[in-house]
Amino acid sequence: MTTNRLIVVGGDAAGMSAASQAKRRRPDLEIIVFERGPHVSYSA
Amino acid sequence: MIRTPERFREKEGIDVRIRHEVEEIDAAGGRVRVLELQTGNVSWEPYDQLLLATGAKPVCPKVPGSDAVEICGINTLQSGVEMRMLLDSKSARKGVVVGGGYIGLEMAEALVRQGLDVSLVTKSPEVMSTLDSDMGRLVSQALRDLGVTLYLGETLEAFDTKNGKLTGVITDQRTLPADVVVLGLGVRPNAALAEAAGIPLGEKGSIRVNDRMQTGTAGIWAAGDCAESFHLISRRPFYIALGTVANRHGRVAGINLGGGYATFPGVVGTAVTKICEVEIARTGLQEEEIRRLGLEWVSAVIKSRTKAGYYPGAGEITVKVLAEKGSGRLLGGQIVGKAGSAKRIDTLATALHAGFTVEQMINLDLSYAPPFSPVWDPVVIAAREAAKKLG
Repeated sequence: MTTNRLIVVGGDAAGMSAASQAKRRRPDLEIIVFERGPHVSYSA
Repeated sequence: MIRTPERFREKEGIDVRIRHEVEEIDAAGGRVRVLELQTGNVSWEPYDQLLLATGAKPVCPKVPGSDAVEICGINTLQSGVEMRMLLDSKSARKGVVVGGGYIGLEMAEALVRQGLDVSLVTKSPEVMSTLDSDMGRLVSQALRDLGVTLYLGETLEAFDTKNGKLTGVITDQRTLPADVVVLGLGVRPNAALAEAAGIPLGEKGSIRVNDRMQTGTAGIWAAGDCAESFHLISRRPFYIALGTVANRHGRVAGINLGGGYATFPGVVGTAVTKICEVEIARTGLQEEEIRRLGLEWVSAVIKSRTKAGYYPGAGEITVKVLAEKGSGRLLGGQIVGKAGSAKRIDTLATALHAGFTVEQMINLDLSYAPPFSPVWDPVVIAAREAAKKLG
């Protein structure tokens, strides 16, 4: 996959799990998470 | 809270921007429109891949008075904080919980512990409608024992307000005075963003995904409470909003987005909760779901103990097992009991994943010592009873 920029909409369990997992596998991937609330995942 | 946006940015190199709302997806252009909530700034951000993890929102009944601030849906950390502030800010005395599911039960317990006089209204014949009503009855009793007044089989019609301030809950049968109301009427997927972008939806309006968590639109993925799952026992698309499923969805999507390969096989619908000392667990299909599939089944309900009967602290446990007629295939199970009951559901969940018959469960080599279990584990006793009924 030649993805350079991943955007994640939503920073709770699913969004943050995915972001962390993707970053671990591809440290060069640029990841931006947009979360409309004031908090991100508290358990991922 | 275990992780902050700063920690994600610094330790993991993930740029987390809180108070930023994505308002629109331009799938053809590969970009999203983002509103910065504090400043009102709007910008378009390009992506190569997009993951939608927009979660779910509590069902809010469209009835008169439903916009009063004393009515709370609990679905995010923030909504819990707001609820707590509401409880702390004034001397609320009467709390009414509308809905008898996981959130309703947990909030009823929390309000009782806060010293409120608590009532619970549900249209179902018993609370916990993800259990069959014979098992739900045990949970209803546990709530009554806690001091919660139940109004079963009653429908919410309106909220009573005076000058915009909540004063009561009106059902089809009575008016209950209320200072605070908690809604536990279930959730709906937050899929409006996806729908507006033409991304195909599935069960209950959740975002349809394949086994790798890809949506029907190229470059766009979905995971968590906004996304559809597959039920391994009914063998049909299924919508379930649970943190466990969200974490697994997210893991699979993340592996694929990171260049790996992973699939999400599906769920069997396992869930646990507790109300004070009573533990509640369910997995697989319940009777109503089996009936709707047109299948036939046998069921067995047994009472046993959580430890050897003579062992100190042994508590009662009730187990129900459902098996398909003919094949004997395990279809589902439900457990209500004292400490040590709920996690026994995992044996049944694993048996469901494995496609076991109840006959195959009888000889499972499960652990035994008096502090943990009777010689025959209660789930095995229930499976044995179901096997007997199959003949």
